[in-house]
Amino acid sequence: MTRATSRQVLALVACAIHFSSATAQPEDCVERASPNSVVENPPELVASAGSLKVALTMRSQEMMEFPLKVCLLGAANGKIVEAPTLRLDPADELDLSLTNRLTYVASSEQTTATSLAPHDPCTGGATATTSTNIDFDGLEIPTTCHQGESSTTTIENSDPAFHYRFRIPAKHPPGLYWYHPHRLGSATLQLDGGASGILIVGGMEKAHPEVAGLPERILVFRQRLDEDESDTWPPEDYRYSLNFQTISPAEEQWPVIQMKPGVKEFWRVANASAQGFLALQIDYEGIAQPVNLVALDGVPVRTSRSLETIELPPGGRAEFIVNGPALGQKARLIQARFDTGPTGIDNAPRQLAQIVAAPSAREPQALATTGGRGRVFRTTRTMPDNRFVTKVRRMYLAEATNGTMGPARFFLTLEGRRPAAFDPHEPPAVTIHVGAVEDWVIANHSGDIHAFHVLHRHFFLLQGNGEKPAEPELRDTVTVPAWDGVGPYPEVRIRLDFRVPGSAGVFEFQDQISNLAEAGMMARFRVMP
Amino acid sequence: MKKSLIALLLPACCAGQVAASGVPAATHFLVTNDDVQRQDPPSTVSFFAIGQDGALAGPDPVSTGGNGMAGGFFGIDRLVIVVNRDEACVFASNAQSENIAGFDVRERKLTGLFKGTVDDIKLARAGVGLARGGDYLYATFSGSGNIAAFRMRPGCKLDFSGEVHAGGLSGGIAEGLAIRGKLMVVTYGDGSLGSFDVSNGLPVAHDDMRYAPGVREDFNPGAVDITRDGHYAIFGGGATQTEVQVADISSGRLATPTVYKLGPAWGAGSVRLSPDERLLYVSNSAGGRVTAAFFDKSTGKLKKGCTSAPLKGFYKSFTYIGAVATELPSGSGGLLYVPEFDSHGGSRIGILRLGWSNGGCSLSETMDSPARGSSGAALLSIGVYPPRPF
Repeated sequence: MTRATSRQVLALVACAIHFSSATAQPEDCVERASPNSVVENPPELVASAGSLKVALTMRSQEMMEFPLKVCLLGAANGKIVEAPTLRLDPADELDLSLTNRLTYVASSEQTTATSLAPHDPCTGGATATTSTNIDFDGLEIPTTCHQGESSTTTIENSDPAFHYRFRIPAKHPPGLYWYHPHRLGSATLQLDGGASGILIVGGMEKAHPEVAGLPERILVFRQRLDEDESDTWPPEDYRYSLNFQTISPAEEQWPVIQMKPGVKEFWRVANASAQGFLALQIDYEGIAQPVNLVALDGVPVRTSRSLETIELPPGGRAEFIVNGPALGQKARLIQARFDTGPTGIDNAPRQLAQIVAAPSAREPQALATTGGRGRVFRTTRTMPDNRFVTKVRRMYLAEATNGTMGPARFFLTLEGRRPAAFDPHEPPAVTIHVGAVEDWVIANHSGDIHAFHVLHRHFFLLQGNGEKPAEPELRDTVTVPAWDGVGPYPEVRIRLDFRVPGSAGVFEFQDQISNLAEAGMMARFRVMP
Repeated sequence: MKKSLIALLLPACCAGQVAASGVPAATHFLVTNDDVQRQDPPSTVSFFAIGQDGALAGPDPVSTGGNGMAGGFFGIDRLVIVVNRDEACVFASNAQSENIAGFDVRERKLTGLFKGTVDDIKLARAGVGLARGGDYLYATFSGSGNIAAFRMRPGCKLDFSGEVHAGGLSGGIAEGLAIRGKLMVVTYGDGSLGSFDVSNGLPVAHDDMRYAPGVREDFNPGAVDITRDGHYAIFGGGATQTEVQVADISSGRLATPTVYKLGPAWGAGSVRLSPDERLLYVSNSAGGRVTAAFFDKSTGKLKKGCTSAPLKGFYKSFTYIGAVATELPSGSGGLLYVPEFDSHGGSRIGILRLGWSNGGCSLSETMDSPARGSSGAALLSIGVYPPRPF
C-alpha cells in the first residue's frame, strides 16, 4: 500500500468513527508502550478532501495512586488510540471535538458553578483541577473561542463535547506543531500525565526537497509523573518518556529506535514536556553525529544546516535528517549537558534511547508528497528590516521566592511596571496596531532558565542565547539563559511582524515552562485592527 | 582543644552579661543548624569560636540525633539560643525527623529530642521554625501546619504543652514567627499575616488576619522580627526587590503594614534588627546580598541604607543566603554573619563589616570571608552566643 492510499484509509476512518457510535468508549486510558520496546510512530488521522474531523476524549486513570495518566483518546482503524497525530495541509479545516471526562478529583471536591444555566466553556467560569481545554501550539490561527483561545476556555468534565473548528491558513508554514491542555491551574498536571499530541502541517518537502521520500520518524518527549512524585513535586530531576515509553537510566529502561543500517531518516521531534530542556545528540561509539536541520518550531529554516546538538526548550520542535548507524555500531540518542542555571532543576546528561541498526528493522513510512490541489506552499518569510520597526519594548522574566523550595512567584513584566502574576481578568499588558513591527528584548532576572513563547504567532529571532543567528529564523519559543550572578542579565531579542492581514486579536506570551506560566509568568497583548 | 581555644577568645564586652546568666564565661560562639538531609550519620549543629577580630574557628559539630531537609523557608529560624538565669541552651529543629534537639551550651551535648503530636509527623519540607516566648519555645511544623508550644524545663529540655493548627486566609501554612511579651506574630505562605495571644502559653488567634500589601503583586511575606518594646512588627519576604513592611502592633493587634522599598536586590528573606534597633539587617536571600536600612524605633520608619555586592561565590558556590546574625549583642552588632546555602552540603558563612561614611553606610565582606561550614551543611539558620538581648 502506498503512503497516499494508507492516508486515505485513515482519513475515512477518522471521519467515520466517534466513540458514541462505532467504537466502544473505555473508562480508562489505553495501555502505553512497555519499557525497552521498539519505538513506533504515533497513530495518525489524516485530512481528506480538505478537512479532518476528530473526536477526542480526555480521560484519567489511577485517581489516588501515581503515576497518574491523563490521556487524549481518539479512534483510528476502529481502535481506540492515544494522542493521534493530526495531519493537515494548508487550507484544510480541522473539526475537533473534545470531551472532558477526567476523574482524578472526586466530584465532591470539585469547585462547581452555582448557576443552573448550562455552562458555556467560552466564558470560563468556575474551574476545577479537572477543567481543561486544548491549545494548538504554534499554529497561526485566530485566538477566538473554538479556535486558538486557551486562557479562558474552560471545559468541565460534565460538559458535552466542545468543538474546535478552524482552517489552517493557506499560507501557513509546513511543519511540526503540537496540541495540549492550556487551562491555567490544571495544564501542567495534565501535560505531565501525558495529554498531548502532534499536529503536522504538510508541505515540508516543498521547502526542503531532500526530505521527500525519507522514512518519517515522529518522536515526542513528555515528562512523566513517578510513583513518588507526590513527595517530590516539583521534580528534582527531569524524567521523560519517549512516545509514551518510560526512560529510566536507573532501571536501564530505554526506548529502542530501530533503523536499517546506514539508512537516512527524517526525524520530527517535539519536546512536549512541561519543564524539561532537551539538548539532543545522536551518539555513535561516543561521538556526536551531525544531523541536518531543516525546520524549527514548525517553520522550515531558510538554509538547512549541520548540527551536532539540537536544543529544544519545552514546547520546542525540531525536524532534521539523521544518518543511521552501521550494523553493530553502538548508537544512542542522548541528552547532552545543558545548563539550566544556578537555581534551575538539575538536568544531567543521560541516555534517552538506544538506536539499533538491524537489517530486519521496520522503517517508518516514507514522507508523502502533499498538495496537488493547486495550492501554493509558503515555505519562507522575509523579515522586515530595521526601517520598519515601529517600537522596541523591553521586558523581563523574574522570580520571587520565600525559600529554597518556594513558595515562589513568577513574573513576566514590562520594564517600568511592577511585577504581578498574570491575571486573565486584567486587560492585556500591551496594545499594538496592525501594521506595526516591534522588537522585543526579553531579559532573564533570575538564576533559572526560562523559555519565552508567543502563542499563535511566530517571531524572528534576532539575538538569542548570547549568539546572533546567521540569518533570522522564525520561532515561537526561545530559551532565555539564566543569569549567572555576575554582570548584565542575559537577553534575547525578537522581531514581531503585525503587518500581515489577520494579525488582529488577543495573544498570550509566556514562559513555556508550564508550571511557571501557571504561576504567573505570562501576559497578553492585543493587536488592534 | 577547640574548647580551650574558645575560652581564650571571649571578647571583654560580653563577659559580664554571660557571667550574669550563670553560664561559664568561656563562651562566645556561633552555632549553625546544619540541616543535613541524608539519614546516616544524623544531622548536626556546629559550634564556631568567635575570635577577637570576629574570625570564626571551627567547626565543632555535635549530632542532633535527627535529620534536616537541607532547605525550606528563608524566613524561619531553625535554631534559637535561649539564655535563662543559670543556663543557656541551643534548640535546633530536625525538619525531616519532625522534632527539636536541645543542647546545653556548657556541655555541648544533646539533652533530648522533643516532639509535638503524631499529627506533626508529616514531612516538614519547608522546615520547622522556632521562636522563644517567655517560658515557652514555639515551633511551626510546616508538614502539619501546626504551631506547637513547649514549656522549657531546666537542663535544656522541653515539655510539649499543646498545639494549634494555623492556616492563612487562603490556607497557607505558618512561615515566619516572632514573639514579644504576650503577642505572637505569624506570616503564612499564602501572603497573609496574623497574630496570637500567648499569655497562657498555647497560642490563641486574634481576629486580625489580613493579607500583606502587595501580595497580588510580587511581595510574599515570610520573615518577621519585633522591636524590643513590642511596638512594631517588621516583615520581609520574597520579592523582585528589597521590600520590607512595618506594622504597628502596640494595640495588641496587627495594624495595616507600611511598605518600604529599600533597593533593587532580590527579596528580603530574613529581617533582623540590630541590638540597638537603629539598623535593620535584611538578607536578600535570592540575590546573595545583604542590605542594612536605618530604623527609627520611635516611629517605626525605615530609610534606605546600603547593600553589599553579591557575596563571593554567589551562584558558583551557593545559591541563597539565610538569616543574618550579629557578632555582638550590643550596638550595631559588630560583624555580620550570613549563612550561604548550598543544597549539596558545601555551605559557608559569609562575614561582613558595616562601615559608615557621610551619614550613610557600606557593607563589605571581610578578607577572611567566607568561613567554611561543617561537611554536609546546608545552612539557612545560625545564631551567636551571647544572643541579642531581645
